[in-house]
Amino acid sequence: MDELDILKKQWQSREQNLPKLSYNQIYKMLLKKSSSIVKWIFIISVAELLFWISLYFIIPESDLEIMDKMGIGKLILYSDIFHFSIFGIFIYYFYKNFKSIQVTDSVRILMRNILKTRRTVHYFVYYNIGMFIISSLVITIYFYTRSEQLYEIMNFANQGVPQENFATVFIVALIIVAIIVVGLLALFYWFIYGILLRRLKINYKELKKMED
Amino acid sequence: MNQELEHIFVTQLEENQNIVHKICKLYTNDSDSHNDLFQEITIQLWRAFPKFRGDSKFSTWMYRVALNTAITLYRKSKRRISTQDYETVSFKIKAEEYDDTEEQQLKLMYNAVRELNDIDKALVFLYLEDKSYREISETLGISEVNARVKMNRTKDKLRKILNP
Repeated sequence: MDELDILKKQWQSREQNLPKLSYNQIYKMLLKKSSSIVKWIFIISVAELLFWISLYFIIPESDLEIMDKMGIGKLILYSDIFHFSIFGIFIYYFYKNFKSIQVTDSVRILMRNILKTRRTVHYFVYYNIGMFIISSLVITIYFYTRSEQLYEIMNFANQGVPQENFATVFIVALIIVAIIVVGLLALFYWFIYGILLRRLKINYKELKKMED
Repeated sequence: MNQELEHIFVTQLEENQNIVHKICKLYTNDSDSHNDLFQEITIQLWRAFPKFRGDSKFSTWMYRVALNTAITLYRKSKRRISTQDYETVSFKIKAEEYDDTEEQQLKLMYNAVRELNDIDKALVFLYLEDKSYREISETLGISEVNARVKMNRTKDKLRKILNP
């Protein structure tokens, strides 16, 4: 193409009005902190991992007592051990993927590794949401079938909660909480995608298109 | 040792800074963002520098890190959307100085390149820098054949931008 070749010739011969930085100006830049997308992805990912893990530590003792009295204390303990082993596996993969992000790789591989790191964290979140839904469902159904026992254990009679509507109210409350939690998470992800990953995903698609 | 490394690095970057400036100019729209991107590239280059073995030229190695930073790592700051495009400004001045058609053509072409997407821009940039298709394909991580095909398509795209 004529125009591009003209540009190429000019591009190489001309000074192009480029700024010129001194040795000291460049040296000062070495001391500044990076604000790259990888750094933000790392911070957000670690925050997410910590958030979901910490949820397992903030369950009040009284709740555990209720579980015990309802006869599922052991089950909860085993499922916790299972969860923490899964957490360990996720953290290992997250660390491994994060380490593989190298700015000296080709554009395509760099992008692929960043997206892979993010995907690990997404799977971690999906796992947690899935488990949250499944275990809530199991516990709700279990409690529903034993609502009289639960009513007694939680001492609702003394708090003035009427027994006839108790089971329905209990389930509706659980469903509302679940919807709010999922809504907040969706908002959070929309935010992360919008701000951090949109451009990266578009560019990665462009590169992938070239290879098809 | 660290000081010595710093000295070697800064000297090399000072000598080759034009490469980084050209990338900044293509990927940003105002001088604040230009400086931001230059700084981020410098940090990324410096971090990767201990692993630079010298089996390729410093400048070759720079292309890759700098383009990776511009395309993938750099977060455009939303606060700094400038209405004054410094490229247009500099060309306005230029247009008054020279009025030959070649200069006009170059200006149009340059603006057309800036309209391309991030990946196409990288492709054209490496082409303008007279890189071989092998080097272009290795930098972007695509096959050499696909780099050629893509380059031809990008030329078509540029032609369309220039002659709508």
